[in-house]
Amino acid sequence: MTAIPDTRPKMRGARFLQSRGMRRFFRHKLAVLGLAMITLIAVACIVGPWLLPHDMLDIDIRGRFSPPLTDTYLFGTDEMGRDLAARLFMAGRVSLMVGVAAMVLSTVVGTVIGLLAGHFGGALSTALMRFTDAFLCFPQIFLLLALAAFLEPDAMMITIIIALTSWMEIARIVAAEIRSLRERDFVTAARVSGASHAWIMFRELLPNAAGPIIVAATLTVARAILIEAYVSFLGYGIQPPLPSWGNMLNNAQQYLDSAPWLAIVPGVAITLAVTSFNFIGDGLRDALDARSDMP
Amino acid sequence: MATFLLRRLGHSLLLLVLVSIIGFALLNLAPGGPLSQFALSPGMTQADLDRIAEQMGLNRPLPVQYLDWAGGLFFGDWGASFRDGRSVLSVISGHLFATLLLMAASTIISVGLGTLVGVLGATRRYSLFDQLATVGAMVALSIPTFWFGLVAIYVFALELGWLPAGNMYTIGDQSLGDYAIHLILPSVVLALVNVAIWSRYMRSAMLDVIGQDFVRTARAKGLRSQRVLWRHIIRNALIPMITLAGLQLPTLLSGALVTETVFTWPGMGRLFLDSLNYNDYPVVMGILMFTAILVLLGNLAADILVAAVDPRVRLE
Amino acid sequence: MIGNLTRRGMLKTGAAGLTMMISSGAAQRLSAQDGGGQVTIGFSQEPTVMNPHLPHIEVDEGIHFNLFDPLFTIRTDGSFQPALAREVPTVENGGISEDGLSWRVLLREGVTWHDGTPFTAEDVKFTLELQADPAFNAMRRTGHELVRNVQVVNDHEITWEMESPFAPYPSILAWTFIVPAHILGEADDPNTAPFNNSPVGTGAFQFGERVAGNYVMLEAYPDYWGEGPHLDRAIWRYIPDMTVLYTQFRTGDIDVIGLQGIPFDRLDQAEGLDDREIVIAPAATVESFTFNMERPQFKDPAVRQALYHALDKQTIIDAIYYGIPKPTETFLPLQSPYAKTDLETVEYSLDRAREILDEAGWVPGDDGIRVKDGVRLAFTNSTTAGNSVREQTQQFVQQDFADIGVEMTISNLPPAVMWGEYWMQSQFDSVIVGINFPTGADPDVSNYLHSSSISAQGGAGQNTWQYSNPRVDELLEEGGRLFVTDERKAIYDEVQQIVHDDLPFLPMFQYMNLRGHKTGLEGFDPNVNVRIETWNVAEWRWA
Repeated sequence: MTAIPDTRPKMRGARFLQSRGMRRFFRHKLAVLGLAMITLIAVACIVGPWLLPHDMLDIDIRGRFSPPLTDTYLFGTDEMGRDLAARLFMAGRVSLMVGVAAMVLSTVVGTVIGLLAGHFGGALSTALMRFTDAFLCFPQIFLLLALAAFLEPDAMMITIIIALTSWMEIARIVAAEIRSLRERDFVTAARVSGASHAWIMFRELLPNAAGPIIVAATLTVARAILIEAYVSFLGYGIQPPLPSWGNMLNNAQQYLDSAPWLAIVPGVAITLAVTSFNFIGDGLRDALDARSDMP
Repeated sequence: MATFLLRRLGHSLLLLVLVSIIGFALLNLAPGGPLSQFALSPGMTQADLDRIAEQMGLNRPLPVQYLDWAGGLFFGDWGASFRDGRSVLSVISGHLFATLLLMAASTIISVGLGTLVGVLGATRRYSLFDQLATVGAMVALSIPTFWFGLVAIYVFALELGWLPAGNMYTIGDQSLGDYAIHLILPSVVLALVNVAIWSRYMRSAMLDVIGQDFVRTARAKGLRSQRVLWRHIIRNALIPMITLAGLQLPTLLSGALVTETVFTWPGMGRLFLDSLNYNDYPVVMGILMFTAILVLLGNLAADILVAAVDPRVRLE
Repeated sequence: MIGNLTRRGMLKTGAAGLTMMISSGAAQRLSAQDGGGQVTIGFSQEPTVMNPHLPHIEVDEGIHFNLFDPLFTIRTDGSFQPALAREVPTVENGGISEDGLSWRVLLREGVTWHDGTPFTAEDVKFTLELQADPAFNAMRRTGHELVRNVQVVNDHEITWEMESPFAPYPSILAWTFIVPAHILGEADDPNTAPFNNSPVGTGAFQFGERVAGNYVMLEAYPDYWGEGPHLDRAIWRYIPDMTVLYTQFRTGDIDVIGLQGIPFDRLDQAEGLDDREIVIAPAATVESFTFNMERPQFKDPAVRQALYHALDKQTIIDAIYYGIPKPTETFLPLQSPYAKTDLETVEYSLDRAREILDEAGWVPGDDGIRVKDGVRLAFTNSTTAGNSVREQTQQFVQQDFADIGVEMTISNLPPAVMWGEYWMQSQFDSVIVGINFPTGADPDVSNYLHSSSISAQGGAGQNTWQYSNPRVDELLEEGGRLFVTDERKAIYDEVQQIVHDDLPFLPMFQYMNLRGHKTGLEGFDPNVNVRIETWNVAEWRWA
């Protein structure tokens, strides 16, 4: 081992938990705030529906549009007389699940394509990157709506659709990162010592590209939650009676002046959740980016 | 330079072909189709629908339809809209002005404000202003545009009555002032997200530059910090921003779409959504190719501009 | 609100000031158009098809009615009123032969096209023949395909024969707008003629301009043959979002709120607006919960009966539609003289529904969902995605159905998918849909209920519930041949009774549209027999 100087970067991401990056992340006040907020939201969404006296599907059409804090209705009732709080928490489960699942899926797709393109280079790389570029040429909304026409819009399909339209950036980031890592000594060393492609890709290259991937993935969650809301706004979202923050907001828009809380409550929920993920992403970027050591 | 341009051109053409095939296939393979809008008209029969499909050439094999369309495109005939029969190019150009106007207004706001916020934030890193700007940008990025637009209409048009609720101009007026008044709400709403993006990028680009050797050198040479700021830092920080601006082009359409819907702005985004809803394939494909070309040109222009501004970059 | 009044006041003063400056000859002509001024109508869909015979949607007809004239129009009360014809042809006045096969129509004299060319029988011949022209992409051919041997007797008289008697044809003619032979007939290809984007008609308004995605503007035609127009200009503004449409009505940006209109939940608020009048306009469309009768779940009439008992129409109407539409048991609009109004009202009773299902042998399975002969009583229900009132209805119905052991899953689709093959080829389980059953004011519903109209079985119509009843077929064929109202009434009464017993769909209510205009606009009079409220802008005027 002494023959080749260890030029590996500090395993950013892989050893994140014990690293200096971790400490730096926790110094980032906003990131901590974001982490706290999203934990709170997640806990509320998981536990909330059990604690509330109403089921999110119980329709009481005569008691609709009750403002917040009416009887046992924490946030009031919606246009069907259902408990808004119960719906908000259930919707939170759906929206957060969609966001996280879309992130996982698009990160995996983007990472694999980026890894292959970055590691192998040559014709494969060209083909993969042109394919990525072609997808980037489409306005995202076109892909979303065109795909939505194919698939029945349930939560899983929406997740897949969002993932299929947001993997390209990660692919590009990973490909660029891998290309710059590929020529580094520790990779050359591994290659010379006869390591397989898979070994090099997943054990040498990937851990060292983890930083940017983690940052991009965090921001993808934020974006996926917003995209779900947009798709719902255009009428292609998750189907009732299953609530999502997006379709709650969409249904509420026509009651904006008569029952503003219907729009405000999910609007604030979306904003808080998305902001949290953005804060965390920002904190991670600062923590994982070597350049932020500079004055 | 010439080889660079030629190679880029070749790549771009290949991309266009790829984009057109994916787009065409997605559109035509999707269930439903352009005739579904007529189904609920009184007295409409399946026989009528079949005959119209035949007349429009929709029952030919897909590859034949594609080649027919692509061949036309190659010779400058982009086809005609299923909805009003006008040529796709004239339909697009009819909507282009509205979108460009909205884009221009919102870009001026977002670049101006974003640069300012980004520069101030970077020069006073971790100051109260910087932290507020950071939080503000994050929140702005997180607010759904359509929601913000509706709230803006509610407050400024309905409650206060200061600004019109939508449209591009009053029919019959169309003075510059009239356009300007109608432009305020949609451009500000559209700019909101872009100010946030632009200021964040500007801030980090500035920080990158500040940390670099030539700035230290300049400072060490004793140059006044204002001069360093303007001559060296901002100028260099703007270089990556040019690339960003080029890459932002495709998002223009998506961003404008929601804003145009909320503010009844007769632009490309709205046209695109309507054409998609009515399955007006020729117009959808036209807009798709148009944006793809714009994106490719944007990327190319960004590369060339960066080379022009930054002496270290050489096109090869 | 004051601001709006002032703005309109200024417009009117402006128009009046203009009139004074115009030379006496022109002023005389303008004086026929008392009042003047302009009206801006907001639509949530965009009129794009200016040629009335090319495939189009209802919003386009809002323009056609004002640019063009048919031979005769249909009034709000269902009667015909001569337009380009001097009188409405009937058996009594000899316009139609006893057997319904020979037609003779006398045409109005002194009518000119917007380019000044006189209107003649050649234009009518051209229009009728255009419908069946294989090279022309006509929207609908029903009725027109039976026309034979069109003869121009002279400039103002025309005759033709029908291959077979077809009673709904007068109603079809009432929406067949006459187009100019001297323009469209001279075009190389009527499908792509310049006419289609700069139309010339005989109507009260002539084409001004269309700014795509924005508005269509029509100008008064001073030499119009009939009464009106009393406005200088009419503008149809395209405002794609319902909330924004209503907002612009409130702010006064538009004078009239048209197609899609005011959301039901805003009625109270809208009625409280100053200087606005709200009109509750009945439309012919009937909202129904329809079945695909070839699905095993729905083959059993007991299931359809039980679901009807479990459908709480009144609460749906009261709560979701704010009590505005009226419940109905039939598919014909209640304004139609043919509507059968004494059909038994099926009461809402979950107990009765359970009873019917129990009797029919549908027993609850382990999961509480009823099963019979291996068929689970579970199905999907679809409608246009994003239609929030229908989505509320679905969720409401879903609960009641669940109560009686029926599982309904909501599966909504984007409009282009929903009303494509999915609907036409009966690929659905059940659908919530609004259908305009009659042909104009004519009670003929063969297209929706005759067994030869099942497109999923190779038929040519729109019988998408795949309803087949030989007696109904027989009645429909007979009704289509009769020209005497009283005889037809008995036939369509029986059709309505049978359909009410068979229940291929559960009728819920007849549409009521909420429209509105600024106070001072007179002549706004929505017509249940046409699809769009701007059918008579010629008669509108500012007080």
